[in-house]
Amino acid sequence: MKKQAVLIGSFNRARALAKSLNSKGYHVTIIYNNYEKCKILAEIEEVTVIYGEETKPFVLEDANIKDADIAIALTSKDEDNLIICELCKKKFNVKKTISVLNDPLKTDFFYKMGVDSVICEVNAITNIIEQQAIYEGIVTMIPTGEGRISIVEVPILIGSPAVGKKLWEINLPKDVIIGCIIRGEESKIPRGDTRILSGDKLILISANKQEIYAIKELTGQI
Amino acid sequence: MKVVKNRKMAYTLIIGCGRLGSSLANELSDRNSDVLIIDRDKDAFRKLAPSYGGLTLTGDATDFNILSIAHIKKVTTIIATTDSDNTNIMLAQIAKTIFNINRVIIRLFDPDRLCVYNDMGIETISPLLLSIKEIETRIDIDKETINEKASGFDR
Repeated sequence: MKKQAVLIGSFNRARALAKSLNSKGYHVTIIYNNYEKCKILAEIEEVTVIYGEETKPFVLEDANIKDADIAIALTSKDEDNLIICELCKKKFNVKKTISVLNDPLKTDFFYKMGVDSVICEVNAITNIIEQQAIYEGIVTMIPTGEGRISIVEVPILIGSPAVGKKLWEINLPKDVIIGCIIRGEESKIPRGDTRILSGDKLILISANKQEIYAIKELTGQI
Repeated sequence: MKVVKNRKMAYTLIIGCGRLGSSLANELSDRNSDVLIIDRDKDAFRKLAPSYGGLTLTGDATDFNILSIAHIKKVTTIIATTDSDNTNIMLAQIAKTIFNINRVIIRLFDPDRLCVYNDMGIETISPLLLSIKEIETRIDIDKETINEKASGFDR
């Protein structure tokens, strides 16, 4: 049987997410509270659309949420998302619940109330903007662990201060390690005596926003 | 004269200055109890009586910054009376789990989401359930009087 995903609220997000989950082999059900918009959502192939108030238990029941593998609360109201996730967990025993959240201060509270995964939009967007503004063109950065940890790809160009040095000669911040070196076609896990060459791409894992100092140390830029 | 120092002062926080919230605030203030009422809309405070002696605070009560301005750590009772059930439930859960507030009372229009807050020690007031109960007792009283009359005829 196909895996079941239920998306609750938000027309645009639900539409985009439904298409991508569909292509990953999920059967998608969308719950939305506007009849006209529901009609548009129903035009997406292989999607079930339920029209109704998102936080009412009987509406969730209509969407067969008991059989869902994953429930994603996307509404614009934090309180609605929380109640949806709690209903899914406590009443319908859904295995995994995901909620979007506007107020970053409530992240811990949401986890405490049993939501499996909390996505804070403000944090996510600030991270992306930060990356675009500060590191654009130099590095690719993937935030993870609720934004506390970053995985960063740093290309080493000719003339970078790190070229020709062994790893233990580089003065990296304490919270940063070089996890991998990509050199042409091969990728190697470096040791202390591995030498960095120009043209290498380094994959850094960094905690506590220390990557910026590491990038400075390695490339001399920023 | 003996001064009791350690007695914790009763301090009630009311969230939502609608008809219920404002009436409660007036009532508690008349009894000389410490009250703070929060509402998103400044104009809502017009519902308070001119004699209201408590505090008002404009802002979103689900915002932790507003709650800390309201000195939530000193609060003894929270009453959430906003018009959104979900907001009231979330406020109650924040009060219980994060600030460990003893008495949390919320008004709920729809008692359907019981399982969400059931095991948390939150006191709920539902106008629907209260009305049903009240109407049922009145019907029962009617029945009794009808029965009494009927048995009177028998004699």
